[in-house]
Amino acid sequence: MAKSKDYYEVLGVKRDASQDQIKQAYRKLARKFHPDLNPGDKAAEEQFKGLQEAYDVLSEPENRKLYDQYGENWRAVKAGAGAPPPGWEGAPRSRRGTGPRTAGVDFGDFDFSNFGTRGGGGFDIFEEMFGGAAGRGRGRRSGRGADVEAELELSLEEAHRGGRRTLQMEVAEACPTCGGTGLKDGKPCETCGGAGQVIRPKTIEVNIPSGVRDGSTIRLAGQGGTGSNGSEPGDLYLHIRLRPHPVFTVKGDDLEVELPITPWEAVLGAKVEAPTIDGKVELTVPAGASSGQRLRLRGQGLNKRKGGRGDEYVRLKIVVPKEVNAEERRLYEELSRISGFKPRS
Amino acid sequence: MWPSDFDLDEPLTFDVVAATVGAKRTLVARLAKQGLIETVDSGTDEPLLPRRVVVHLRRMQRLRKDLGVNFAGAAVILDLVGRIEQLNRELAEMHRRLK
Repeated sequence: MAKSKDYYEVLGVKRDASQDQIKQAYRKLARKFHPDLNPGDKAAEEQFKGLQEAYDVLSEPENRKLYDQYGENWRAVKAGAGAPPPGWEGAPRSRRGTGPRTAGVDFGDFDFSNFGTRGGGGFDIFEEMFGGAAGRGRGRRSGRGADVEAELELSLEEAHRGGRRTLQMEVAEACPTCGGTGLKDGKPCETCGGAGQVIRPKTIEVNIPSGVRDGSTIRLAGQGGTGSNGSEPGDLYLHIRLRPHPVFTVKGDDLEVELPITPWEAVLGAKVEAPTIDGKVELTVPAGASSGQRLRLRGQGLNKRKGGRGDEYVRLKIVVPKEVNAEERRLYEELSRISGFKPRS
Repeated sequence: MWPSDFDLDEPLTFDVVAATVGAKRTLVARLAKQGLIETVDSGTDEPLLPRRVVVHLRRMQRLRKDLGVNFAGAAVILDLVGRIEQLNRELAEMHRRLK
């Protein structure tokens, strides 16, 4: 969300909207942009983060009142700094949770740590989730860092062979200057601008196991958000997305590829080169092959997760030259004259 | 280099899953009994849960919190989203092959 965006504008409500109207607007937009309903849609995810931030503030009457009065400086005021001094431009808004972000890879910072702070109306399942009085606030999480989910896009070759990926991440941590309070000597902390958090770069190397597939999930224990008060960090869950391959179609553990062959190769049979995920192999096209016929290359598919490999299926496609020279034309005419082949009879 | 779990098949007890997502054990057991989360036969009276349930359960929690749906509704939503994703992939693949 843009830094200067007005929370009321984000939710599309008037400034005098009731709490019910705010909730209604949030729910309506959340249904549209919720990341779990739009997997892999970065734009929707960003929209939802903005919505969530706006709703978090406007759904709490006390926070809303401060926001109405002090605008984006409200957090510092709430934290005890009083009204901001003239000329103070305010802080970047604090980020939800402690989820990492990356430059090249999307690390949405879903924050599970505040899970349970808002019920959905009616029966409050979170009482059951967390148990009695602990159902509000952080519950029994006892400071465990937030789990983080993100998507990691891989090529088919990477998924097949596995390997290493270096991920550049940005992790929100408590500000070292103010200790996370957002205040220093009674004024908004200059280091974090009153947000209480600073973003630190972090690099991790991820071992991509051989045999991952589109939709696989890799868990990196302890690589999620940092825990508070020495508690264990959360985990990082990487959901794998495979980029479409220009040559191969993936079908489970098997690969499929279309292989063009000439009419005479189809009629006479031939040994031709066929692409596999590991390079080219020689393939025997049987005499009398037809377009659409599938030939199996056993064990030339993708590495399986627990050992072994799938197969590759080569789908033959007979192609004809768009232009022929005089000699070729003569031969085709001769063939036409002497051939008894009648495919439509 | 961080070791990585793969595909989250590791079977976990109800207690571990409950502690990981910050839920009460009884709720996790109830969701499993209702068939809203995947279970793995343990050979005992109580099944185990593959680790991927943690991710699934958190998604259900988020949908519950953000959209106000109940857990049965969240399970249906996630199932349908999964199917839509699969169909989108197949559609994209078909488009690619037609080009």
